[in-house]
Amino acid sequence: MPSRRRTLLKVIILGDSGVGKTSLMNQYVNKKFSNQYKATIGADFLTKEVQFEDRLFTLQIWDTAGQERFQSLGVAFYRGADCCVLVYDVNSMKSFDNLNNWREEFLIQASPSDPENFPFVVIGNKIDIDGGNSRVVSEKKARAWCASKGNIPYFETSAKEGINVEEAFQCIAKNALKSGEEEELYLPDTIDVGNSSQPRATGCEC
Amino acid sequence: MLESEVHDLSDDADYAASQQQGSASMMLRSDSTKNSPREGAEIVFMKENVAIHPTQFASERISGRLKLIKQSSSLFMTWIPYKGHSSEARLSDDERNLYTIKAVSFTEIRSIRRHTPALAWPYIIVVLSSGLAYPPLYFYSGGVKEFLATIKQHVLLVRSEEDANVFLVNDFQNTLQRTLSSLELPRAVPIACGPSNLSVDESVLNENQGRADNDVNNGSFSATQFPGRPSHKVDPARDLSIHVLEKFSLVTKFARETTSQLFGENHSNGFSERRTHIRNNLDHPRKSSHAEEKTSDESCVALDSQEFENLSLVWGKPRQPPLGSSEWIIFLDSEGRVTDSEALRKRVFYGGLDHDLRNEVWGLLLGYYPYESTYAEREFQKSVKKSEYENIKNQWQSISSAQAKRFTKFRERKGLIEKDVVRTDRSIPFYEGDDNPNVNILRDILLTYSFYNFDLGYCQGMSDLLSPILFVMDDESEAFWCFVALMERLGPNFNRDQNGMHSQLFALSKLVELLDSPLHNYFKQRDCLNYFFCFRWILIQFKREFEYEKTMRLWEVLWTHYPSEHLHLYLCVAILNRYRGKIIREEMDFDTLLKFINELSGHIDLDASLRDAEALCICAGENGAACIPPGTPPSLPLDDGSFYALQDENLWAALKRTSRHSPYPSQNTLLGFTPDPEPVSPVAFLASSLQSAVGASRSAVGDAPAFSLFQARGRLA
Repeated sequence: MPSRRRTLLKVIILGDSGVGKTSLMNQYVNKKFSNQYKATIGADFLTKEVQFEDRLFTLQIWDTAGQERFQSLGVAFYRGADCCVLVYDVNSMKSFDNLNNWREEFLIQASPSDPENFPFVVIGNKIDIDGGNSRVVSEKKARAWCASKGNIPYFETSAKEGINVEEAFQCIAKNALKSGEEEELYLPDTIDVGNSSQPRATGCEC
Repeated sequence: MLESEVHDLSDDADYAASQQQGSASMMLRSDSTKNSPREGAEIVFMKENVAIHPTQFASERISGRLKLIKQSSSLFMTWIPYKGHSSEARLSDDERNLYTIKAVSFTEIRSIRRHTPALAWPYIIVVLSSGLAYPPLYFYSGGVKEFLATIKQHVLLVRSEEDANVFLVNDFQNTLQRTLSSLELPRAVPIACGPSNLSVDESVLNENQGRADNDVNNGSFSATQFPGRPSHKVDPARDLSIHVLEKFSLVTKFARETTSQLFGENHSNGFSERRTHIRNNLDHPRKSSHAEEKTSDESCVALDSQEFENLSLVWGKPRQPPLGSSEWIIFLDSEGRVTDSEALRKRVFYGGLDHDLRNEVWGLLLGYYPYESTYAEREFQKSVKKSEYENIKNQWQSISSAQAKRFTKFRERKGLIEKDVVRTDRSIPFYEGDDNPNVNILRDILLTYSFYNFDLGYCQGMSDLLSPILFVMDDESEAFWCFVALMERLGPNFNRDQNGMHSQLFALSKLVELLDSPLHNYFKQRDCLNYFFCFRWILIQFKREFEYEKTMRLWEVLWTHYPSEHLHLYLCVAILNRYRGKIIREEMDFDTLLKFINELSGHIDLDASLRDAEALCICAGENGAACIPPGTPPSLPLDDGSFYALQDENLWAALKRTSRHSPYPSQNTLLGFTPDPEPVSPVAFLASSLQSAVGASRSAVGDAPAFSLFQARGRLA
């Protein structure tokens, strides 16, 4: 029953206003960077086909408004997420400090079935700025925080230069897929009820 | 022309004759004597002072005479507006004519709903068997009871079992049969194309058409629709089409759509062709009629179902050219006061402003300058406000770096604003390029505003709202104060609790339920009733959906509050309706819907959508207004704090419990048309209106499909 396997992976990008969420998404999906992105109002998403072990998935990447005031909308957008990406700007301490708020807010609003093990990925963006001289959040500090939150994978990127973006999203996709499959184990048969064909073991390849 | 003619109200024939003389644009009127049932007709009921309210403003009403006429065995209803009534000077003749009800036969009427609110004038809503309804008819001199009693003497009239205020007309056939029979009007579809099967007016239609064609050929009329507007030539073909549309839209629009559904879209080319022609006429008013012909010939070849779908409502009023400076001065007295602000607002509503005028008029539309201010007073205010602005600006400019270090909120706010202004409209020449001083002004104004309104502070989206204002005003202080005026109304969009947005999204869901129930049902089924996909539209007034010039046009139109303060919500409904077929056909869910809506940006036909929105707004009437909670932006917030509390706790709780019945009162019924000028206390207002609102919403969603324009179309699809 391969058609029953999930092929859509939903990823939510969160983080303070102006840390580069839209830019990261566009760099990954369209390999483009623009200085002229407008502040995101509401939400939007892009999709990208990704391949894992001979299987194709659609990665649906959600870009949301960064201002806290719009967080109450999250409940509509976060639903069904498979992975959450927390982005901060390495040149802004506040954006780093806020990661915890974003993480908690996400867990409240998305209410995933297993919050302890829900996959997050943290991205420190804008490492290109000023050759790294204006950086205020050290990699060490960021990694320490990630470790304290259950070993969240951590990447440092430049959406502008395209540095490390692909790698970060590879990891994001992998984690989303893992999360999706775990979820799938919970209700494989309910989905198949009413199907006339004989029930078979999940994972059967046809 | 206008109201200068002597009014002879004695007789419809005289009325028609005076109309005929009055203006060539009234040409369809010339046959109106024929519309009245002819020989052997007997007037069995007549009532004066029966009025229609074309807008939500109680002051704007069209009064007329309601008659029941019996001819042989048939009963007809007519409502003819008075000509040139003094209290209605603002209304154009076209507007008056638009609402005229000419000899509608009771065989076409499905039901009559009676409303007798305790605090307002009684009114009725006549629903046609097509599902369309005429606007509410208000009986300013009473007489609803006699009206119904008279009908009962001549046709079968029974009370609905479900609602004692609904009277069903000739309800002896089963509903499906009736619906189908009312749809068998394939030839009535293209009004201008040929004979019609519509029961009463067949010959009249043809004659009108013939006559109109003659006039077109003669090219012999001009439009003088607005007070004081210099009469200028317009394309006669355009006015013809508009006129035809306006006259018959009520009855035919529905028939057109449903017949095309019934008979398959491929079979409807003759009609589509005509509609395209009409549409072209509306869209390109300056083309010659020869060019028009050509366009329509070409486009009919390419017509497909997709295109057909795009030609949804066509019966909103035509858009006009923007108000220019020569016409503008006519609205002003010698000292610069706007003598008739409503006429101005109306004019701007239908055409917008020439760009050069925006600088002068936006301040008035936004309420920064009073309409009754003189040139001198405005200059004075400008200078006073300038120093006031400088004072507020100085509050943050004087913050030293040492102080800023200890002022996190200020630093954060400034940082947020700085991040946003550099990504606001940078492709517009005015904000283009590195170190553009206008970007800094944008920042300064927003930061100053966040001190002026410290509680609200800065929120994303504000820079989008300010950008065109600064561009137009081109003066820091003036832009600031215009922005302040705008934020008086839109500020709640940015509230921390998002209540302004939520009340608008809620109102939108109610309006879609009222006006496009198939779409509503679809959204419901797909769990999309939160309408978050329209969030961006509403938050920043469609700023991201149109190019810059179009945004400015839309905003000045919305700021007139002409047909409704909440026209933007009707605009949402209009756009959604335009794409309803696609949304449902492609089975869009929340995600794909959001994506689809976001990607509509840059592809929305503003003028056509505005026409639809206006039509929807008028059509929804007070049922539409009842969908919108009091105080919903851009309405000014309610003054009474206790009412706010009530709204927060009780109404929203009620809203969660039931989404079917709007708990919101109809402002029109209870306040707008109250004979007593005393304001109703908010609590009494709420209590009494809860009942009537439930009734109103029942009429909308329950038994009588009043105003559910698109209902049948969806059912048949």
